[in-house]
Amino acid sequence: MPRLMTLAKCMALAAGLFASAAHAEETVVWWDFLSGGDGVRMKQLLSDFNAQHQGKIKIDATTLEWGTPFYAKVQTSAAVGEAPDMMTYHASRLPLAVKQGVVQEITADDWKTMGITKDDYATATWDAVTVDGKQYAVPFDTHPIVLYYNKDILKKAGLLTDDGKPKGMESRQAFTDTLKALKAAGVKFPLGSVTADGNFMFRTVYSLMGQQDGELMTDGKFLVGDNAKKLENSLAVLQEWTKEGLQSTYTDYPATVALFTSGEAAMMINGVWEVPTMTDLKKDGKLFEWGAVELPVIFNHPSTYADSHTFAIPANKGKDMTPEKRAAVLEVISWMDKNSLFWATAGHIPAYGPVTATAEYKAMQPNATYSVLTSNMIFDPKSPLAGIAGPMFDVMSNFFVPTLNGEMEPAKAVEEIKAGLDDL
Amino acid sequence: MLRNTRSEALVAFILIAPFVAIYGLVFIYPLVKLFIISFTDAPLIGDGTYVGVENYTRLVGDRKFNTSFWNTAYFVLLTVVPGTLVAFGIALGVNRLSGRIQALVLSLFFLPYILPVSVVYYIWDWTLNLQFGVAMHVFDLFGIPRVPVFKSTTWFMPAVAVVTIWWTAGFSILLFLAGLRAIPVEIYEAAALDNAGIWSAFRRITWPLMWPITALVLTIQLILQLKIFDQVYLFSIGGRVNDNLVMVYYIFQRAFQSDQGGRAAAIAVVLFFMVIIVSVLNFQLTRLSGGRNR
Repeated sequence: MPRLMTLAKCMALAAGLFASAAHAEETVVWWDFLSGGDGVRMKQLLSDFNAQHQGKIKIDATTLEWGTPFYAKVQTSAAVGEAPDMMTYHASRLPLAVKQGVVQEITADDWKTMGITKDDYATATWDAVTVDGKQYAVPFDTHPIVLYYNKDILKKAGLLTDDGKPKGMESRQAFTDTLKALKAAGVKFPLGSVTADGNFMFRTVYSLMGQQDGELMTDGKFLVGDNAKKLENSLAVLQEWTKEGLQSTYTDYPATVALFTSGEAAMMINGVWEVPTMTDLKKDGKLFEWGAVELPVIFNHPSTYADSHTFAIPANKGKDMTPEKRAAVLEVISWMDKNSLFWATAGHIPAYGPVTATAEYKAMQPNATYSVLTSNMIFDPKSPLAGIAGPMFDVMSNFFVPTLNGEMEPAKAVEEIKAGLDDL
Repeated sequence: MLRNTRSEALVAFILIAPFVAIYGLVFIYPLVKLFIISFTDAPLIGDGTYVGVENYTRLVGDRKFNTSFWNTAYFVLLTVVPGTLVAFGIALGVNRLSGRIQALVLSLFFLPYILPVSVVYYIWDWTLNLQFGVAMHVFDLFGIPRVPVFKSTTWFMPAVAVVTIWWTAGFSILLFLAGLRAIPVEIYEAAALDNAGIWSAFRRITWPLMWPITALVLTIQLILQLKIFDQVYLFSIGGRVNDNLVMVYYIFQRAFQSDQGGRAAAIAVVLFFMVIIVSVLNFQLTRLSGGRNR
């Protein structure tokens, strides 16, 4: 019996200690979907934050599977009050999130607490997190796609301009000629394309539509008027490259990156988030001279699809956040935004204006080369049906693989896409 | 000794109560709820309003439902009987071995079964990768043009079927092996004395005596393969989801991607009845034909 008493005392003591420690330190449960080269950078930021806030705030971070699994998990966990304290979220998904009641509003008080205002962001970025006049997330970055290229191969083929950029970026004909010249120079795949993954190709196709001022959704209707034709044009040019043997076929995402980094593909259209992969390989002496520029102008004017990683606070059902916890979450978010210069090494363009205004950011390569594209960025249509891995995205990307690999005619694909979208 | 049937019933009830309670909670209750939801326009989470049989009538003209239905049927055709035969064949072979060799060979066949589906997916996805897959180098060696196996509609279902048989055969092999070991050696000895060859011994002894096990394996496989989802989902990531849809996948799409709980529930109800009808039918048929053999 005495032994049991001692044990009980010990346990009470331990519990007391634990409770007091918990009071002093707020643990913020964090979910993200950043698992590529950018995920490594994020882990660095997280450990920096934890080191600087020792004893006050501790982030307990988990990285989950990108896309549908992530968003399905967020939705179901928020419904039973088991969602994290904060999470990364694609700006394009916010209208759907608001409709589903998954995210909490970021109130005027919150912005004041964080010491961040609307003026710290580009208008388009601020708009991207605004739904019906209210903000539901804090923008962290914008991440467009870019054209990566192998300087060594292009130089040898005489396809590099004096300032080290690829030739033929000004028109469809010129770019196709560049690809053909690469082919003639013995390059196996002039362009490495993620042709086995419709999800990825959504970005390229949507960019090409943007170059023709195409819209997916007009007043709640899909592909109105000549927008269908514009989508068809975008698919047609990509299919033409396949048919002429200018781009890799049925290539999945990892294989595309491998084709490019191994030198088998001379160019690659991919997200800025692969910049760290290239930087790290180059640093270890395992990569050629490389560069990244804005997408070529295939149609009328430059345009690039972009989305924005944001931070959002889940609306946990039946579980109110304590003021202390909320303060801690806001501190995490504002710290991340204010320290996002390091995040730029992950390739992404920080959303927080004061960071991109610094001289250090402006000198960063290749970010400085492609950051001109920020003036031509287009975002998803604002609708609960839009967004990464959302319903529209899903319907469309389904038809990209057969079309881009030459199994289905672009016109037929557009017809199917339209039928699929109208069925939503 | 007098038996107190009343207290026996009480004991029996107490013993089965935990099971009944859990069964009711995790099976009966969700099932009833599923039926109710299928008549509403509920989103994934929360309630909807009553819409009658609209969710069901919509399925009739629904192309995606059609695809998913026929794909499921096709997949069942590709896996159930071939998978059972393969497992039976392997079991017959393994049964002829003995001692440590048998244990080794058996474990080699059983190993894939313990792998989680995601590992199975990665192994095969990389093996058959168009640019870097090991299998493609073999294709090159024989001068066969490379095939994007999981990205072409023609090859997708057969390929997933082969992977599934490779992955799950281990369990069926064990069942068959247990059956084979239960056949008394004396019967074969008697048959040998009567000058029976290998073939007639198999046809007249092994096959009929193994029929109950075969029927069991067939039924298990049938129920399992009607509910096929994870392999199809993983192998079609980013690809041609619409062409590869199977019924559970379609339920997943409606529920989790389109946020239409009601419509998803209606498909689930249809699948539920399909599984019941097909498995009862299968059981009756195998029982009947088994009876004829005996």
